[in-house]
Amino acid sequence: MAVLEVKNLTKKFGKFTAVDNISFELKEGEILGLLGPNGAGKTTTIDILLGLTKPTTGEIKIFDLPFEENREKILKQMNFSAAYVNLPWRLKVWENLYTFGRLYEVEDYKEKIEILIKEFQLFDLRNKLTDSLSSGQLTRLYLCKAFVNNPRLLLLDEPTAFLDPDISDLVRKYILNKVKTEKTSVLFTSHNMAEVTEICDRVIFLNKGKIVAEDTPVGLTKRIKFCKVRLFFDLNLGKAELLLKNYKYNFSSVEKEILVDIEEEKVGQLLGRLSLAKLKYSQITIEKPTLEHFFLEVIRNKNEN
Amino acid sequence: MRIKRITAVVIRHLYIWPRSPERFMWTFGWPFFGLLIWGLTISFLQNNSSSNFSFITMIIGGIVFWEIIVQPQREISINFIDEMWNKNILNLFASPLTKAEYLTALVVIGIIKMFITVISLTIGSIVLYKFNIFASFGLHIPILFINLIIFSITLGLFVNSLILRFGISIQEIAWAIVAIVQPFACVLYPLSSLPVWVQRISIILPPTYVFEEMRRILFSNKIEINNLIFALLLNLLYLVLTIWFFSAMFEKAREHGRLVKLN
Repeated sequence: MAVLEVKNLTKKFGKFTAVDNISFELKEGEILGLLGPNGAGKTTTIDILLGLTKPTTGEIKIFDLPFEENREKILKQMNFSAAYVNLPWRLKVWENLYTFGRLYEVEDYKEKIEILIKEFQLFDLRNKLTDSLSSGQLTRLYLCKAFVNNPRLLLLDEPTAFLDPDISDLVRKYILNKVKTEKTSVLFTSHNMAEVTEICDRVIFLNKGKIVAEDTPVGLTKRIKFCKVRLFFDLNLGKAELLLKNYKYNFSSVEKEILVDIEEEKVGQLLGRLSLAKLKYSQITIEKPTLEHFFLEVIRNKNEN
Repeated sequence: MRIKRITAVVIRHLYIWPRSPERFMWTFGWPFFGLLIWGLTISFLQNNSSSNFSFITMIIGGIVFWEIIVQPQREISINFIDEMWNKNILNLFASPLTKAEYLTALVVIGIIKMFITVISLTIGSIVLYKFNIFASFGLHIPILFINLIIFSITLGLFVNSLILRFGISIQEIAWAIVAIVQPFACVLYPLSSLPVWVQRISIILPPTYVFEEMRRILFSNKIEINNLIFALLLNLLYLVLTIWFFSAMFEKAREHGRLVKLN
């Protein structure tokens, strides 16, 4: 069942088109990544889905209900956290969370918040003023607020931007557990491609307001034909360089290491050529393309165009 | 309208009150200094004047009644701006909270703070000048207060609408608007003492009628209730227009992406 349906969504600010006729769905219990360079239209899309910005055209249905006509009912079951949104800094941690517990009309919000602040390791900080928290602690507080109403749909705009690796891991596991146990649907943006690959079931790639790719993270990386072969030569480095030059490979070398950019399917041919020339390497690493490579390729294409 | 959501916003602003020295000053400090300085000055002039005219009741009455306009307007506008300073405005409007609930909450906070100020000023004026506004105006208090409160709410909503339209850069108007209105509202002097062109502006301001009637009660113990009913109708007209203006500016802000930029 689709929790979120977006059809032909367009947002124009004067002559500038921030979101250009995009359509997508988010299923129950799915984590959908929204990726793209700065200015691609990710945040505008999220603002529209939260009712903060009006779309120029298009249709949004959340929980099978048209958004504009059912705003209150829908937002009660949604929540969000974004790197650019804070909480009142002169309120204590518990005061902020109680405020949002009441705003979302959460039953037993005090008990619910106590559990949440323990899960996000904020229990000892509950009586601290928000402005005395570190950026990592703040991010965890914002995430507590985002989970305060047990949302069916959660929009997370760079939720782990300021977190230590161990807390980022805790957050990712928490999100994955919520999705698994409570079928929460998550729309997720992040500039951490490894994180997106780890937690997203599917990724939509936006560029200049348009969807340029939609696939699983692995599916997107498979669209990159090139990989990197890292070879270490204790002897014959010069001969190896000459061979690569003759065959017009794209490579660079530093000390005893040669790094070759090559199409994945031609790796066997390269190794065969080295073997025929009796050039023995002491170590070899093949770096498969990642989501980051896909991201960079889209950006490069954008710049070239 | 959900009471729980309105309460959430009210309590959020009451939480920060005890730890905000500037807000304490707005509610207690500055109004009390005004009462003290004006009261002492007028007492001095009164004692050195041969007139039997009671300047002190007129001025103290004006000062206390003026706070009924100042406090709700300032709370409605500053608490709205406070959400922008805190980058919290998007959290509120991305929650189920409606515009009507949010504005109601701001009005409730404003009225709570206004009563705290008025009661503390009343105690101050009884102690310092033996003048009790509740005893002086008796049963006329509700209609006088209601007129001033509605006008104050209208000013607050008008300022918030301007902020939605022009952004946080015009936040100074939240403090300035009452100062702009005050000379025309006949707070401390009668309408008849003003130049004709100023009177033309004054008569379209509901507080003018309240302050005129306040003085009539103090000096002749009479009241022209029709003037206050006219002020009430004028107030309701302005309030309805301002609510429409706020709503229109809010929707325009959503349309042009200005709401997210306020954060």
